[in-house]
Amino acid sequence: MTVHVRTLDELLHAPLEADSELTTQEYLVNMGPQHPIAHGSLRVVVRLDGETVKEVIPVPGYVHRGVEKMCEHLNYRQVIPYTDRLDYLSAIMNNWAVAKTVETAAGIETSDRIEVIRTIMAELQRLQSHALWWGVTGMDLGAYTAFLYGFREREIIGEIFEETIGARLTMNYIQPGGLMYDIKPDFAAKVKKLLPYLQDCVEQYETLLSGNVIFQERLRNVGIVDGARAVALGCTGPVVRASGVPLDLRATEPYGAYGKVQFNVVVGSIGDCWDRYYVRLEEMRESIRIIQQLIDGIPEGPYSTIRYNVELTLPEGIHYGQVETARGAFGVLIASDGKQEIPYRLHFRSPNFNNLWVVTAISPGWRIADFISIQSSLDLVIPDIDR
Amino acid sequence: MAITRLDAAINLARSNSLWPLMFGTKCCAIEMLMATGAAHHDLARFGAEVARASVRQADLMVIAGAIVKKMAPRMRLLYEQMAEPRYVIATGSCAISGGPFMYNSYTVVRGADEVVPVDVYVPGCPPRPEAFFWGLLTLQRMIREGETIREPGVRRKPVMAALPEDVSLHEIRAEIRAALANENVIDVTQAANQKPWARKVREWIQRASLR
Repeated sequence: MTVHVRTLDELLHAPLEADSELTTQEYLVNMGPQHPIAHGSLRVVVRLDGETVKEVIPVPGYVHRGVEKMCEHLNYRQVIPYTDRLDYLSAIMNNWAVAKTVETAAGIETSDRIEVIRTIMAELQRLQSHALWWGVTGMDLGAYTAFLYGFREREIIGEIFEETIGARLTMNYIQPGGLMYDIKPDFAAKVKKLLPYLQDCVEQYETLLSGNVIFQERLRNVGIVDGARAVALGCTGPVVRASGVPLDLRATEPYGAYGKVQFNVVVGSIGDCWDRYYVRLEEMRESIRIIQQLIDGIPEGPYSTIRYNVELTLPEGIHYGQVETARGAFGVLIASDGKQEIPYRLHFRSPNFNNLWVVTAISPGWRIADFISIQSSLDLVIPDIDR
Repeated sequence: MAITRLDAAINLARSNSLWPLMFGTKCCAIEMLMATGAAHHDLARFGAEVARASVRQADLMVIAGAIVKKMAPRMRLLYEQMAEPRYVIATGSCAISGGPFMYNSYTVVRGADEVVPVDVYVPGCPPRPEAFFWGLLTLQRMIREGETIREPGVRRKPVMAALPEDVSLHEIRAEIRAALANENVIDVTQAANQKPWARKVREWIQRASLR
């Protein structure tokens, strides 16, 4: 199954003809780079017939910093802070992707303790990311209260990160062979105290927003992506799972401590905006379950198995590793020449870039307001698209 | 009954009702515009919570994140569309100097002040919301002691609103007061036109209007 995408040039030179029965006119409307729905600086050129969306062409590149090219000058430990700045809402998972790839390629062993702490941290970050997404989606669709509640949880989880890592957003925590810092002695107690609270919060989210008639009307049966199409577009994460495809790297190729815990892969039924919304809420519950199973038995031991000033040289060849971030599969492809301690070439496979093209594939036919719902339900982070 | 200059009254009103523009490019936007706007940190305490999506209604541009060459003309355009008096806060290393993307990056503009004149710099990667508040307070102070209606656009030189380590709040206040007490002024309009990107953007606008 293929999805044809016109280029911006083709769109700009195409004749504008309205084919609606009403006396409407076709317009080309720029949404962005500075636009509330842009969530950063994504430009979307929309061809409109009256209020109906005829065609959507995203124009990425307004935050393109050339991270992949920069990484060719950096050694593997120096690459990690730059992954924070791609998808900054799942910084820890991005760090993990690089660390995992380097560890697999260089044959570095990690301990149980390291993997358990990594998993707990990644799940906390997923909770934080989804809470933020929930708030922002509410705000996009006109429920400002949701924004305040979503950020309340973000701050509370953020306090744990601040204590352990010292950062609020750009974590730089998971390193090849271990962690940047050890956890504090009262870490487990604090997280355990937090979990029932977070469970209540998810229930509160349901009460606040899920039952709202206007909210449901704007999400249900809007922007349907069927499973085959989602897979053809290369979607991952909650977007593809909402279409009924049980693709979750945590379950399909378990890494970290995911192999040891019980959790469900949440899938939706038809793949509309509501499914994408609900899959994320259910994922928050599953994340809490995963942390509950791990938090009691954090093994003792060192927090890193290698010294950090050791030179890491990967064997010659192409190495690929991927993890499941809050938005989908984040992959790192490293081409190493086997001589230098820096990558010869490096590529990030970012989930948002593939998820972005869903708006092109499914928006035509919907109204502008539905387009907002669709883009909001995809949970896009623009620096991850542009890199 | 208090007697004051008209300038002082106007500046007091301006400083306490800054309307920020909803404009973020990167990670700093989460911290600067969203986390500060939410309940925990609450930008409303400083009278600056009315985040506007339209440039024409905003008078404070918070540059949150790296500005790349593709974005620079657009940001310049946004700046020129804002109504005067307009203020700019550059938050985070990327907006100050290019930050982590200073070396080896082929797209990042090394500092947003190459594109638009910046009033206050808030360092950090990203800065904490508290640091941003300090930058906002510094800007408010600059506005209150700043330009007059006789000479619009002539105001204090930019200030780095960094919170130094192991310094008490009194010392910081004294330092900022001393920095602001200097007679260093800058003509913002003139400075804006001298920026290297100004000419490029003018050409760009001309080309667009010809089309």
